[in-house]
Amino acid sequence: MSKKIRNMTDSNLLLAITVIVFVLMYVGAIIFQGKGFTKPQTFFNILNANAGLIILACAESLVMITGGIDISVGGMTALVSMSCAVYLDYHNGNVPVSMLIALLIGLAYGLVQGYLVAYLDIQPFIVSLAGMFFARGMTTIVNSDPFNVANESFVALKLARINVPGMGSVNKKGVYVNAYVEIGVIVALLVVILMFMMLRWTKLGRSFYAVGGNRQSALMLGINVKRTKFLSHLICSVLAGIGGYVYFLHVGSGAVTNGQGAEMNAIASSIIGGTMLTGGVGNIIGTLIGVLSLATIQNIVATAGLGEAWWTGITIAGMLCVFLVIQSVLMARKKKLMKK
Amino acid sequence: MSQKGSKGSIQDLFGKLVRKQIFIPIAALFFLLLFNLIFDPGFFVITLGTNSAGDPVLSGNLITVINMGSELAILAIGMTFVTAASGGQDISVGAAIAIAGSTLLRVLCGTNTRPAVGELRTSILVAFIISCLVAMAFGAFNGMLVAIFKIQPMVATLILYTAGRSIAAWINNNELPIISDPEFGYFGGFIPGIPVPTPVFIAVACMIVAGLVLKFTNLGLYSQAVGINESSSRLNGLNPVFIKWLTFVILGLCVAVAALIKVSRLSSINYSVIAKDIEMDAILAVALGGNALSGGKFNLWASIVGAYVIQLLTTTLFKYEVPSDALPAYKAVVVIILVVFSAPTVREKIGNLKKKTVKREVA
Amino acid sequence: MIVKNHKPKKIIELIMLLLISGVVLCGCTGSAGNNKEGTDAKNIKREKSSASQPVTIGLSQIGSESDWRMASTESVKAAFSSGAGYNLIFDDAQQKQENQLKAIREFIDQGVDYIILDPIVETGWDSVLSEAKEAGIPVIVYDRRVDVADDSLYACWIGSDFYLEGKRTCMWLSDFFSDRGIDHNINIINIQGTMGATAQIGRSKAIEDAVYHSRNWRLLAQESGEYTTAKGKEVMKKLLAKYGENIDVVYVENDNMAYGVIDAIRESGYVTGADIDKGEILVVSFDATHNGLQLTLDGAIAVDTECNPLYGPRLAEMVEMMEAGEDIEKETYIEEDQFSAVGYIASVNVEDTEYPVTYLTSKIIDERAY
Repeated sequence: MSKKIRNMTDSNLLLAITVIVFVLMYVGAIIFQGKGFTKPQTFFNILNANAGLIILACAESLVMITGGIDISVGGMTALVSMSCAVYLDYHNGNVPVSMLIALLIGLAYGLVQGYLVAYLDIQPFIVSLAGMFFARGMTTIVNSDPFNVANESFVALKLARINVPGMGSVNKKGVYVNAYVEIGVIVALLVVILMFMMLRWTKLGRSFYAVGGNRQSALMLGINVKRTKFLSHLICSVLAGIGGYVYFLHVGSGAVTNGQGAEMNAIASSIIGGTMLTGGVGNIIGTLIGVLSLATIQNIVATAGLGEAWWTGITIAGMLCVFLVIQSVLMARKKKLMKK
Repeated sequence: MSQKGSKGSIQDLFGKLVRKQIFIPIAALFFLLLFNLIFDPGFFVITLGTNSAGDPVLSGNLITVINMGSELAILAIGMTFVTAASGGQDISVGAAIAIAGSTLLRVLCGTNTRPAVGELRTSILVAFIISCLVAMAFGAFNGMLVAIFKIQPMVATLILYTAGRSIAAWINNNELPIISDPEFGYFGGFIPGIPVPTPVFIAVACMIVAGLVLKFTNLGLYSQAVGINESSSRLNGLNPVFIKWLTFVILGLCVAVAALIKVSRLSSINYSVIAKDIEMDAILAVALGGNALSGGKFNLWASIVGAYVIQLLTTTLFKYEVPSDALPAYKAVVVIILVVFSAPTVREKIGNLKKKTVKREVA
Repeated sequence: MIVKNHKPKKIIELIMLLLISGVVLCGCTGSAGNNKEGTDAKNIKREKSSASQPVTIGLSQIGSESDWRMASTESVKAAFSSGAGYNLIFDDAQQKQENQLKAIREFIDQGVDYIILDPIVETGWDSVLSEAKEAGIPVIVYDRRVDVADDSLYACWIGSDFYLEGKRTCMWLSDFFSDRGIDHNINIINIQGTMGATAQIGRSKAIEDAVYHSRNWRLLAQESGEYTTAKGKEVMKKLLAKYGENIDVVYVENDNMAYGVIDAIRESGYVTGADIDKGEILVVSFDATHNGLQLTLDGAIAVDTECNPLYGPRLAEMVEMMEAGEDIEKETYIEEDQFSAVGYIASVNVEDTEYPVTYLTSKIIDERAY
């Protein structure tokens, strides 16, 4: 075992832990709570409800791998959904333009935050903190009352379902219902795949790891550190714009409270998925599993009858705590083994 | 010749002042005050009135600033120590305030959520001490994760950030106790006969204690040393694990004091709203104070001034009828401006620009 | 180092990727196959032993933001206790529709027998309710309403008649003023609830209509205090600074905001009470919570119209009727009371129905369940 651990990279070790825990958790839920968790739709509902978060978490992972942090993604979700909602309903807008708005908000955020972080050397935490404040405040300036979007083509897109072939379950009336996913899930999975390929197989992807791992050696390798950092924030914010739109597509409403705490959920998912805040270590597949773990534990807690609001917070924190301690202990152990 | 000399020394003096860390928050403070002075001198009016109980109270925008800024200033003290020693920030202070406040009310009220006047279970002092212990225990938990398990502070405190408000709700069974005892309101309001709000005194007391600690113990020096270089401070006989842990416990104490003020202001609690986003403001105070968020050298007083800058900004914006929900947007703009001008690269550039102009003058 | 180890990592990565997708896919397809028989078997079993097996109820509650809401939750929980043969899955949505949608989907996935929903807003329920209908789970909506295109999506609705509550309050006011012989202009401020909530719409409409039909009532301002004490206080302070002594009546759309409003009035140096000719500000409120009634007894609130939170027994009754296969009415209202300690008016008349006004004593407050 110890030999194997030694041979594994940090990233793979952390990923392995995540995957094992997630699988155990889901199997445990099937065994102990049965019923719902054996239905494929339960799993797909988790995906449907968290498609936006998956994209946000991917964005967060990228910045974290590069050694930064971005806590503005939740605020951006609110801003994107409110802006698009107001545009669609109050200005009779059409759907493609609303998507463009989401992308533009992301782009603008990425340019400003990226510039401030990479070229002016301001701490990413403070920059994105201001970004979060700005987004939340701006959202209420755009419109402060929550409302559901009634725009027909948007609603049609929101209700569009993609049946998953060969999966489904029988309902109480004995009718077979096919399992489905929403469009957002397809977008989220595409983002995961593209990000995974980019980080693994492109020069740019590797330079993100290099900059996050060790700036000095990255410089010596001839990587433009500033540009890489700038790009990481740019991509992150654009992804956050997309994630915000996917979230908006799922909830279908503009509200100031949209995406509340999403930044912390994205960070937590990344951590559970094995991304380290110190930079240089992380994996997009891990992040995906991280989001799913987080959502599954919430689902388990809710259906176990622990519906009091406080249980969700406490279990997520407990899970985060366990993961962090396992990670920290294993990393320390590995360091010792390496020294030998 | 002499003229040139004096000009030079003034420039020197100015240069020195600019280079001083505390210059940034003080300049920001003056800038905001100047802004108010120009646009509405009425901002500075302080009046002595009476409250509903007939006691004299001071009111006015400046009083609001030093009153409402108290919690933030107290938290900034603890946050500065944590930042210096661990090179990270505690994002759980808001949640911890909810826990400490909830504990305080639970101890005072027991199971009866609406105690009548004089029906409190224990004295406020006992309840406060218990809530201090609880807050310090949670601080110790954070400290343990950071110091012993070597988890980055922001990530480690993310745990309590997620769970804190839930724990607070759980402590009181999700009920919202209301204390009608007027004595309990003294800590967040006024003590009869004294026109200055009590939180101001509490904040000043905390600052004095912090000042004494810095003067008579090596805590400041040690936490700087640990923050600058952990391994070399270990070689010099310090115990970095203990010092890091200690800074989190100290922050826990600050949290308990802030919680007392917060809860006393309302005589009640709302778990999901109390001290919301205060962790962000506290970290901002430290950053505005010109302290490196990556740890090491720090200036406590600059952080405290930073805290009052944030409160002054908030009060100013309120004065111009910015709705409370839209406030963060304006705050963000001001913060970015402040941070950009205090960024080392920008200051360097400005410095170069100045040198160039001076050179041109000489030429 | 990371770059060096690139190759073996890639392979492990790939294996992982395959493994995960394999596990996920296998798990799903596998269970899909088993499931057909599994649920069928379960269904038969349930039918056979329906008498002894507990009825599973999924309850999606808005949150726990006010005393009223918590009293309501407690009442429903008590009615569907395991002792009474129920298995209640409770979910607190913490003020977000998103969470309620998620909770209902979880209930559907878990195959509960009934879903009980207190919707946070009226719109946006079509798709999730049709999922419930598809799954054959009846949904009982209570308190606030849902606005869906096809009303067969939910089984029934029970709640308060908020417009009637508002009407009763306005009627009380007009009776009170004529009783006192007050004939001059009356300036009213309406502190509204969260915009778009059923209670806000009904109560705001009542005062708007009353002002419209009245000769001497004027509405100075309407602003939302979002049903919270803090926001109510903030809004009231602002309005006091603007209108000051001109304010005669504050029509507050719930008790929690009324606490804030009364605080704001006192802190700004004004007095609450029914004597508007002496410069007192008359506050009327809704909900009749414990604290609200205490303030009514003290005279700070002139009249407090109840919004009955004790839905538990009525909901349990409905579920029992549905279990027995009886027909139930699509819409029913819950009975409500009105309290005042300003004892001139014994009853108010709204649309030819006489509604009694209870003269409030501390005994009544002590005897109430919340």
